Amino acid sequence: MTRAAPTVKQRLERIDLLGRWGLILPAALMIFSFMALPMLVMALISILEPGNFGGVKWGAYSGDAYQKFILERDLSDHLVVNTDYLSIFSRSFSLSAVTTVLTLLLGFPSALYIALQPPKRRQILMFLVSIPFWTNLLVRTYSWILLLRNGGLIQSGLEVIGFRGSLNLLYTDFAVQVGLVYSFLPFMVLPIYTSLEKLDWRLVEAAFDLGANRWSALRRVILPLAAPGIASGCILVFIPALGSYFIPELLGGSRALMIGNLIQNQFGASRNWPFGAALSFALLAFVLVLMLLYALRFQRNLEAQS
Amino acid sequence: MNSSIVISNVSVIFGGGANAVKALDQVSLEIAQNEFFTLLGPSGCGKTTLLRCIAGFEIPSTGSIRLDGVALEGLPPFKRPVNTVFQSYALFPHLTVAQNIAFGLQERRVAKAEIERTVGRMLELVKLSGYGARKPAQLSGGQQQRVALARALANSPKVLLLDESLSALDLKLRQDMRLELKRLQRDTGITFVFVTHDQDEALTMSDRLAVMRSGQVAQIGTPSQIYDHPRSKYVADFIGDTNFLSGIVRDNRLETQSGFVPIPADLPQGSKQTVAVRPERLRLVSDGGDLRSRITQIVYMGNETMYHLEGDMRVRVPNNAGATPQYALGAEVGLVVPLSAVQPLEDAS
Ligand SMILES: Nc1ncnc2c1ncn2[C@@H]1O[C@H](COP(=O)(O)OP(=O)(O)OP(=O)(O)O)[C@@H](O)[C@H]1O
Ligand SMILES: [Mg+2]
Repeated sequence: MTRAAPTVKQRLERIDLLGRWGLILPAALMIFSFMALPMLVMALISILEPGNFGGVKWGAYSGDAYQKFILERDLSDHLVVNTDYLSIFSRSFSLSAVTTVLTLLLGFPSALYIALQPPKRRQILMFLVSIPFWTNLLVRTYSWILLLRNGGLIQSGLEVIGFRGSLNLLYTDFAVQVGLVYSFLPFMVLPIYTSLEKLDWRLVEAAFDLGANRWSALRRVILPLAAPGIASGCILVFIPALGSYFIPELLGGSRALMIGNLIQNQFGASRNWPFGAALSFALLAFVLVLMLLYALRFQRNLEAQS
Repeated sequence: MNSSIVISNVSVIFGGGANAVKALDQVSLEIAQNEFFTLLGPSGCGKTTLLRCIAGFEIPSTGSIRLDGVALEGLPPFKRPVNTVFQSYALFPHLTVAQNIAFGLQERRVAKAEIERTVGRMLELVKLSGYGARKPAQLSGGQQQRVALARALANSPKVLLLDESLSALDLKLRQDMRLELKRLQRDTGITFVFVTHDQDEALTMSDRLAVMRSGQVAQIGTPSQIYDHPRSKYVADFIGDTNFLSGIVRDNRLETQSGFVPIPADLPQGSKQTVAVRPERLRLVSDGGDLRSRITQIVYMGNETMYHLEGDMRVRVPNNAGATPQYALGAEVGLVVPLSAVQPLEDAS
């Protein structure tokens, strides 16, 4: 009896198995050494006592860093609730949420407009969207300072048309908000455009044919089909915005802090590494919970679709 | 004629400059209220484009389209009392079958209970009851096509445009749906404009049909007018099987290479002329006949036999159990050509 030669499928599976591990290995190594390992170090630091001049006291374990987030010791050594840090968290959250909503409101129509252009014009427009990436975000944020500060371009412009007095735009939540929306807008436009570009416009014709006007076709056909793009856009904007550091640093000054600044502060001026590490973990946990909720919801949608 | 749709001098030009495509060229048609009108023609002749003009997706470069006496110009697709069954189905992938069918009714703010009833009725009509909760991706091509049909019909439009809407169905189902569509047409008063490649479908379903040729209408008429009296070689060739005979007109007969054929009296003497004769209208005889030829091939087709003759001629003879004589391959035979079977063609080539 001769042994049956391996079928094409079996051969492919064998190659596949080898190939799969071979392909994953570099990425797995990278993730382990540059993400998992540093995070373990961070976790360790967050449960140590701070050193007197920065750094940590190795071997001296303490849960203080996590406690400090909501509780502090008053003069008589009682633990009382301190909402200072929570309020910075909530400010960060609301700034990021508003950024997400505003970039969506600005980005969706732009993406739709671009997707409706003839192919050649589409390429040019998408090229224009990517132009901001040519210069460093830091430089672009500095230029917002020139625009927003007292005596800056915006105020001078208003003075030309008769406005007197100072606007005090810079170093406010408003300035941070403007900076965030400005820098994250392309991250909303790109994924939405990608999903709209793939959209079968004959479906929109079908909607018109069935009596849907433009608005109705947008709401009942285009939006649902662009939903994956909108969701990725929101994630790509919200999560980095939550952790943004130098936009609030430059445009918000000391008054409009975000989580990123708070964390930086612990490793810098405040010399409290464990607290900085604990704050990072709090942020991480928060983002993970949000992503989990999103994934659960999205999965339910997917299941409903298939 | 109680016209529902009047199309006058409609032209559509795609692109510009050197690579401009004239998809429709001065098309004029009238389609009656409640008529089953078919557009027939080869791929790329402009059938879909004409439907899209009626539906409002294509703006004609010239000409006008009127529906019940009202010019459709400037009326967006969603304001036209016209529904389309798209060639590509265009079902909404994110909605269930039932939601797809309900789409148009919801746009018109029809009451919920009424929508549910209509959706149920439509599903039953296209034999998909029980499939309402599925997504289009979970249906076969033929099932999707039927959903597209149900979705358009649910709106009880004045005009229903069907773009090759039975093409994906198997023979049995297609025959059922043909009957169903004809019944719907009788019962509802909807005007049907039907596009097909399939000449059998065109001949059996239509009240009238238009044969199209590269953006123009080659001929309009009832199925029997088109089949029995094609005006051009193109139409005669496109519909059914045809023999073409060419010759010179002499003494009310056509002088061809293989004999004389009777022709109608009104053709000018001495002119070159081509006539069309359907293979089933010719009769084979052993002796005599109008034309003489030789059998080159015999194809048995069950209910009839096709004889191929020298000179690119074909004759179809019914097989009624030995009642008609059989001829052998290579035999010399005569052909009887009845005057009523001879259709002179306008293009003399
Ligand atoms: N959007 C377009 N841009 C350019 N040319 C087009 C466009 N739509 C159609 N055409 C051209 O117009 C002509 C008619 O197309 P149409 O789709 O009406 O053909 P059809 O008769 O429906 O063919 P089929 O039977 O293959 O569906 C074709 O030559 C086609 O290439
Ligand atoms: Mg077509």
